[in-house]
Amino acid sequence: MAPASDLPEAAGRRLAEGSFSSGLSVPDFAACLSMGLEPLRLVQGFCAMQWGAYGGGILGGAMMGQPTPASGGYNEVYQCPHGFVTGEHRAWGQNYEQTWVESAWATGFSNALTRMVEEATALGAHGVVGVLDTETPLAEAGVAEFHLRGTAVRVEGAPAPKGDPWTTFLAGQRLAKVFEAGYAPLGAVATVSSVRVWANCVTEYALEGTGGLFAGGGSVAEVDQVVRAHGVARDLARTRVRAQLHGDALHGAELSVVAREHGSGDLEVQVLLKGNRVRRVAPFSPLPAPTLTVALS
Amino acid sequence: MSAPSPEPVDLKAVVRRAVAALDGTPSDTYPTTSDLTIDEELALHSIGWEPVELVSGVSIVSIPLGWWNWGQGEITAASEAHRHAFANAVTRLHREAARAGGHGVVGVRVEAVVRPTHVEVALVGSAVRPVGAGARPEAEVFLSDLSGRDFTLLSVAGWETVGLAVGSSFVFAPRRSVGTVLGQQTQNVELTNFTEAIYAARETAMARMQDAALALGATGVVGVSIDEGPMSFASHAVGFVAIGTVVRPGPSGHQRVAPMTVVPLDDAVVAFEAHALE
Amino acid sequence: MSDAPNDLPEATERRLEELERGLFTSDLSVNEFLLIKEVGFHPVGLVMGSSIYHTGIQTRKWSQSQELTKLTEAMYNARELAMTRMEEEAAELGADGVVGVRLDVNYYEWGKDAAEFIAVGTAVKAEDGVSRRNALGKPFTSDLSGQDFWTLHSTGYTPQGLVMGTCVYHIAHRGIGQTLSTTGQNVELPNFTQALYEARELAMTRMQDEATRLGASGIVGVRLEEKSHQWGSHTIEFLALGTAVAKGPDPVDLATPVTVISLDH
Repeated sequence: MAPASDLPEAAGRRLAEGSFSSGLSVPDFAACLSMGLEPLRLVQGFCAMQWGAYGGGILGGAMMGQPTPASGGYNEVYQCPHGFVTGEHRAWGQNYEQTWVESAWATGFSNALTRMVEEATALGAHGVVGVLDTETPLAEAGVAEFHLRGTAVRVEGAPAPKGDPWTTFLAGQRLAKVFEAGYAPLGAVATVSSVRVWANCVTEYALEGTGGLFAGGGSVAEVDQVVRAHGVARDLARTRVRAQLHGDALHGAELSVVAREHGSGDLEVQVLLKGNRVRRVAPFSPLPAPTLTVALS
Repeated sequence: MSAPSPEPVDLKAVVRRAVAALDGTPSDTYPTTSDLTIDEELALHSIGWEPVELVSGVSIVSIPLGWWNWGQGEITAASEAHRHAFANAVTRLHREAARAGGHGVVGVRVEAVVRPTHVEVALVGSAVRPVGAGARPEAEVFLSDLSGRDFTLLSVAGWETVGLAVGSSFVFAPRRSVGTVLGQQTQNVELTNFTEAIYAARETAMARMQDAALALGATGVVGVSIDEGPMSFASHAVGFVAIGTVVRPGPSGHQRVAPMTVVPLDDAVVAFEAHALE
Repeated sequence: MSDAPNDLPEATERRLEELERGLFTSDLSVNEFLLIKEVGFHPVGLVMGSSIYHTGIQTRKWSQSQELTKLTEAMYNARELAMTRMEEEAAELGADGVVGVRLDVNYYEWGKDAAEFIAVGTAVKAEDGVSRRNALGKPFTSDLSGQDFWTLHSTGYTPQGLVMGTCVYHIAHRGIGQTLSTTGQNVELPNFTQALYEARELAMTRMQDEATRLGASGIVGVRLEEKSHQWGSHTIEFLALGTAVAKGPDPVDLATPVTVISLDH
């Protein structure tokens, strides 16, 4: 967690100035006003994180041959079914969760979020709408910058906020409809899971297409070890997001998966899942069933 | 899809109440996750459905070496790997959806990549169910790559979505002998053997899609798209993949939807024009 | 062309048989599907035709604007072959027409001077069993979307056929003397104007001739496409495409459209 009020001095100056600024487009701005959300200021938070502590950056762990997965993470060993050892033959393979990548990511995102929320709190805002997030890897390996920004808003005619402002990736009509549907936004949620695949002989042959002898006699075959890594990474991301929901719903989720190949038989599956934590605060009043229209244009 | 709203809502009051309610007790409902937009969710709710969980299914199937070297006819290992990868990914999606208590998955996003040594298929979508309904056996879960909006509209018209139908065919382009090439240099001529090879490959992909649809008990397939072209890593090999959404009429049969003509005001209006001929 | 295969490939026959047994396929979106049903048609199958065609070589005179009749003929024949095969597939399904027709041209690395012409569309059949085929007794074709098809019907017109006209034209290069004498001036280049004008007129006239043959009363949705394909910048194909329509017998009341502003961007 970020220490209390570590905002740079320039931020304080910018926030103290009179006029409003916002990152909203004109339709989103209009929609905010129609909801009685008064835009106050563009607020933002940064955090640069490094996770190079594992012996030469991200590559280090696996290239040592025997990485030590952090305790508690997912870990599965794939033994060679052939029962012989040569210099070329990967008798031993493993899938393991890169918990250090995950925790660095979680810290980076939550620090940036906390700082953005702090700026909003300083303005007396009820919430932050239209949050955008970017994670930029900097030149040095294993370093990433997290940047979150959004528009702080005050709810017209509501008493001063008691707790921290809520945050949401949504803005404009989408947000208006979320309110209308009986939800209230709580927080922008994001999590990353990362699974490393150190291929055993069967997997390596299947991936390289050498097929034949070791990968199932030259026929097509599913690459179990990698498929499993994909499944587990998605499951981990979902379970972790669920833990952050505390019984609320995740709305408008976005799942993106990156599979990197660090070297021959050395893969990483990274899953980013983000969305809006929303709570049902009013019973759902169903809309009439839609009618089909044809536009004459 | 815009229905005339019965009465205007005091949105500002709704927002004020919602924000005030956040200070109350936390909700005790089962947490749902979904990648639906609010429009899709509202559309689904209008026919009594709700999202339960974001689900996915992945499969990677290897293709042994040597299949892409120039040959003749179909590259059967590639077609087979493609079929396997889709079938396995669909099975996993079914399983996840059923485990989450979904009756079906809507808005399935299909990502399929064919590489020289393997085919990767990833499916992601939101599991949905009639509001408050209990779980359904895995075999009865339906899949649909239609958006929540299209799903709603079909269901209003009395149709059910059943699943995805996929058919693929990978073939080698035929070769012309040097003599033929020279002989045809200056002529307008149809290359009939080329036409037949490519035509047949496309038809094969579509026929396989139809077989898959029939196996699912389809009455029809809508939204068929055919993705085709030379492989990026082997230009003499051409791939055809046909994907469509399998539908069948529900118990009440087709219902007329009686569309309404509208003139959108947020776009330049182009008038309907008939060119008279002499 | 006489050496065109008269039969559709074997895979086609098998696929069409399945469709005749009651399964339908279509590349229509859900909206389009429901609108087609609304008009009283039912989709019967996705149909297509293809032709891989080698275009011959025609010498062009550097400084003369002229139609390249050999290329025009090639472009027209190839499309016609693809369309005819698509119509054959539709006829085999007992369809009344084909909607949402798309004409595409594919080039492959391995086929020098050859291109694949494809026609794809959804064959439809009237639900009341009354034939809606065109004046020539063939299934009508049209490049209208489901939405446009529905709107056209509500005006009382029916599509008769997708009509096209094409003209491949070589536009003269200008001599150095000419270029120099006009440098720095704002002048019309009458030769260019005339060449482009004539090429477009030829393409459109040919399209209209096709429509007249179908006994149509007009053409809707005319598009004029200009493509250089692989011939260099001075040789251009002008392609005119549209759907020929005829007024139906029944008088129609057009519903007054409602004006809306949509809120989803």
